Amino acid sequence: MRERTNAQWLAELRGPNPNEALADLYDLLVRGLRAALGGRAGANIEDFAQEALLKITNNLDSFRGESHFTTWAKKIAMNVALTELKRRRWRDVSLQELLAGHQGTGRGLADLQLTPEQVAFQNIVLAEVRGIIDKELTDRQREAVVAVILEGMPIAEVARRMGTNQNALYKLLHDARKKLKLRMEAVGLPPQEVLAAFDTG
Amino acid sequence: MLDRGDLDKLMRALAETREREIGCDECFEQMDRFAEIEFSGSDSATAMPLVHDHLRKCEDCHEKYEALLIAIGAG
Repeated sequence: MRERTNAQWLAELRGPNPNEALADLYDLLVRGLRAALGGRAGANIEDFAQEALLKITNNLDSFRGESHFTTWAKKIAMNVALTELKRRRWRDVSLQELLAGHQGTGRGLADLQLTPEQVAFQNIVLAEVRGIIDKELTDRQREAVVAVILEGMPIAEVARRMGTNQNALYKLLHDARKKLKLRMEAVGLPPQEVLAAFDTG
Repeated sequence: MLDRGDLDKLMRALAETREREIGCDECFEQMDRFAEIEFSGSDSATAMPLVHDHLRKCEDCHEKYEALLIAIGAG
């Protein structure tokens, strides 16, 4: 493949004969996807590259020229592939079941490494945090905190199930985190200090 | 609804929470530039602190970023 500047890539892809640039870009995407995803994507590498190529050529105007064109193109390909792979991996997980698993279980605090004082302090913090979560967060914020922070479900997948998008859900979570942090500080339990108190080395 | 493991996760997330954070869209827009700075061996965290902060907090975006770094290395 011959080297091209950003301007040459754009000119060729927008020009009357884009086939050579398209073929080179496709090869580049396949190589990048294969390296990054290895066996995870299996036979889908070519499909992902094709889908990414379409997105790239339809969105050339959004390339701001702040990186190599090929890096920008690879970024789009990684997004296409990983979004789809994650969707498949989590497809059978229901948000409601995930949330239900967290309600009223009151799982214990058995940890032999802790001193009685640490256990007593944990119980105080737990009661306080539970109260703050119940009072301060909206239902949606509570769901997002449990699913993403506590259960480790990908933001994009939680967003899909909650009828929103990844960016909006990140912002909703950010607001929830800020609110919880402020309240924890207000009741004299700054998260950093709570963590330090729980640290058993 | 919380046990000790939950509390640890939540406190860690809160301890790292900043007043100003960028969202996934803004991170994605800047990810190619950030990756090239990192790939060149420069200090990407200092050059683009908000992107660096987001990537530490958002597993979805971090996974794409790691893949992008490998893809850049593949030529």
